[in-house]
Amino acid sequence: MKRYLEVLGLFWSTAIAAELEYRANFLIALLSSLGNLIGSLFGLSLFYRTGYNFEGWSWEETLVVLGIFTLLQGFSSTFLSPNLNKIVQQVQQGTLDFVLLKPISSQFWLSTRTLSPWGLPDLIFGLVLIGYAGQQLGLGLSNYLFSIIPLIFGLASLYSLWFMLGATSIWFVKIYNVTEVLRGLLEAGRYPMVAYPAAYRFFFTFVIPVAFLTTIPAEAMLRRAELSWVTGAGFLALGLLYATRAFWKFALRFYTSASS
Amino acid sequence: MNQTLRKTRTFLWVYYAYMVEYRAELILWVLSGSLPLILMGVWIEAAAGGQFGLRPVDFARYFLAAFIVRQLTVVWVVWEFEREVVEGRLSPRLLQPIDPVWHHVASHVSERLARLPFALLLVGLFFLLYPQAFWVPSLGQFLLFLLVIVLAFVLRFLIQYTFAMIAFWTERASALEQFWMLFFLFLSGLIAPLEVFPPLVRQVTLWTPFPYLVYFPASILIGLPVNLGQGFLAMLGWSGLFFGLNRWLWRRGLKQYSGMGA
Amino acid sequence: MPIVIVENLSKVYPVAVKEPGLKGTLRHLLHRTYRPVQAVQDVSFQIEPGEIVGFLGPNGAGKTTTLKMLTGLIHPSAGRVRVAGHVPFRRDVKFLHKITLVMGQKQQLLWDLPALDSLKINAAVYGIADKEFDWRVSELVEMLSLKEKLTQPVRKLSLGERMKAELLAALLHRPQVLFLDEPTLGLDVNAQVSVRDFLKEYNQRYDATVLLTSHYMADITALCQRVLLIHEGQLIYDGNLDGLIEQFAPYREVKVELAQPRTEAELRPFGELKAVDGTIVRFLVRRGTLTQTVARILAQLDVVDLTVTEPPVEEVIGQVFRAGVVA
Repeated sequence: MKRYLEVLGLFWSTAIAAELEYRANFLIALLSSLGNLIGSLFGLSLFYRTGYNFEGWSWEETLVVLGIFTLLQGFSSTFLSPNLNKIVQQVQQGTLDFVLLKPISSQFWLSTRTLSPWGLPDLIFGLVLIGYAGQQLGLGLSNYLFSIIPLIFGLASLYSLWFMLGATSIWFVKIYNVTEVLRGLLEAGRYPMVAYPAAYRFFFTFVIPVAFLTTIPAEAMLRRAELSWVTGAGFLALGLLYATRAFWKFALRFYTSASS
Repeated sequence: MNQTLRKTRTFLWVYYAYMVEYRAELILWVLSGSLPLILMGVWIEAAAGGQFGLRPVDFARYFLAAFIVRQLTVVWVVWEFEREVVEGRLSPRLLQPIDPVWHHVASHVSERLARLPFALLLVGLFFLLYPQAFWVPSLGQFLLFLLVIVLAFVLRFLIQYTFAMIAFWTERASALEQFWMLFFLFLSGLIAPLEVFPPLVRQVTLWTPFPYLVYFPASILIGLPVNLGQGFLAMLGWSGLFFGLNRWLWRRGLKQYSGMGA
Repeated sequence: MPIVIVENLSKVYPVAVKEPGLKGTLRHLLHRTYRPVQAVQDVSFQIEPGEIVGFLGPNGAGKTTTLKMLTGLIHPSAGRVRVAGHVPFRRDVKFLHKITLVMGQKQQLLWDLPALDSLKINAAVYGIADKEFDWRVSELVEMLSLKEKLTQPVRKLSLGERMKAELLAALLHRPQVLFLDEPTLGLDVNAQVSVRDFLKEYNQRYDATVLLTSHYMADITALCQRVLLIHEGQLIYDGNLDGLIEQFAPYREVKVELAQPRTEAELRPFGELKAVDGTIVRFLVRRGTLTQTVARILAQLDVVDLTVTEPPVEEVIGQVFRAGVVA
């Protein structure tokens, strides 16, 4: 365990050191995040400007969902997508072999190898949005604390989905767009689930569990979540983590028995 | 003439074979354009409960049309071109007796052919799940749509290829495209038809190239009323502008490129 | 007790077949056909601790596949492999601490950062303490003469320096068994020599076992007492270099200096003429008839001087691969 923490520290400090070689990226990331935030608010306002609302979700309550969504976007671009791109690259260049020969879990290595500080603006904007909406709604500390548990479940589920998709690069070598599919589907998390028709709700709850990523943490924060859903989020996270591990082992078995 | 035809055919065939080789990737690209389908859900639900001037079925058709338009106008030339410049692969291309842009055009066009079956499959599946939304455009509408979709692709390609020229000066030309994409995402009609925009925003947006890339062709396909004259003029105007800018940057860029001894 | 044991090792894997042209493309789109390729066929050998063994064969002969099976990156289709007492494919931690793999055309060092950063990561991964780390790095730096290069970003190093840094990273955990796939690929002659010298020194200092593949015969002749020759997946020779020539070079070169020049017609009956240059004549003579032929030459021609030489190794091996000779 201590060794893993030590390795993690080295991974992240070297990753930041490498990224800081390209400082102009920060300005780009900041502008993109800002533009994205404004656009998201504009998109949401198209629904609310005529007096319509998402089945009893006030404007501020919907902003909480958008805030959590932005937070998850920041989390993905900081921790998930750089590593995923790296997996694809390593399979393509064959340097995955080096990773497999290290006396350390290859899943750990591939999941934590790098991080990109450029997701930071999204993380900050997400928090600002939640803070603003929370203040308008008069949310207290306990509200925020309540949402942390389902949020962690959500992050774990999100990680699992990304990693499993990344693992498919073992079969489909040129698959940079794998992230784009998931990213596209996750866009559904911008709005609370009640904004969707029943079929969509079913799909985004049970097929691609977007509901567990943003809506349920938001509901927990607003104290309207049912315990059963939060427990469900927990089971989902654990199940997905377990599935990820099994899937990675399976993919590796394939890689090591078929590659030349 | 005969020569050109043969060249074109060979180009398209080779790039088609290349695209098919990466079919798994292609399916994923098709699926990654799912944003209009997601927003379709929200808008159908909203139209059933609120006052937006369009019926749920209109929204369904609009977003399906937007999905098709997006499938047919996807462009990635800036990333390709940027890589070619950075890795120095542009140099051998410059020695060929053909403008390098045709390689990109051929790969984009043949990718469309390879992608089409998957996209149509998805459209078919959609009608199976939601038969109320089924409609057949009139022949006139369809032909007009074909013309507009080609123009939309040309405009989209010209804009992105112009951004690609920046690769001669900086390694991060694609960042410009990414930033531009934000406006495209929110103003092109991908997230909502312009009918539901506030009037002022709508007026301003119609002067930009964005709505002509998605909203305009999609509206024609499903028969929403649009100002055809204004639309065509705007498309041709913007295309002309970007074409001029593109050729100017290309000449300046080549000078810069050869000056660096790359 | 051998450190590497390979018994009846085989590997078959499927390869997608695609016909050229549009028709082939379409068919490929709908239905992929696979053809089994026998990469390695019933290969057996053993390596003792401390040996340096060269692994020879043309491209696609199965060298890399075998190396990958020995390191546990590929699961064998059949046969038994033991490396340092472990089954490689289980890739258990103890095994991974004992081996290393260096691939000439692939690198594990981080491109944008000094090599030292990558080394620190490796040290943490292999659980090497700071003090021990410093001491091992300084020792290897000296052996590789890499002074001051470790603090420069890897992208600024020359190809030779980068390869040396790769070796350093691969050997930091002091493995007992080294698998090297084309470690000198693309290096200039000087860099090749220093990599070679280093490997030899490392082998002697730590009694490490080395199995390497190389396209440069000089690597093999300088380092390996023993070679394994693999051709189309089959092991066709296992022994020392001299024996290889013995077995695969059916000809000897007989160089004769005559008292006076002779016509080619007069010389031809004695053997295949390789070159005639005034009074210096070179014959190629079959190994089996060598004594006989030499006796005839000495008896029937005015010989001033006569030497018998073996052809160079490169030539022999090249000939083996071209002709596809299987003994």
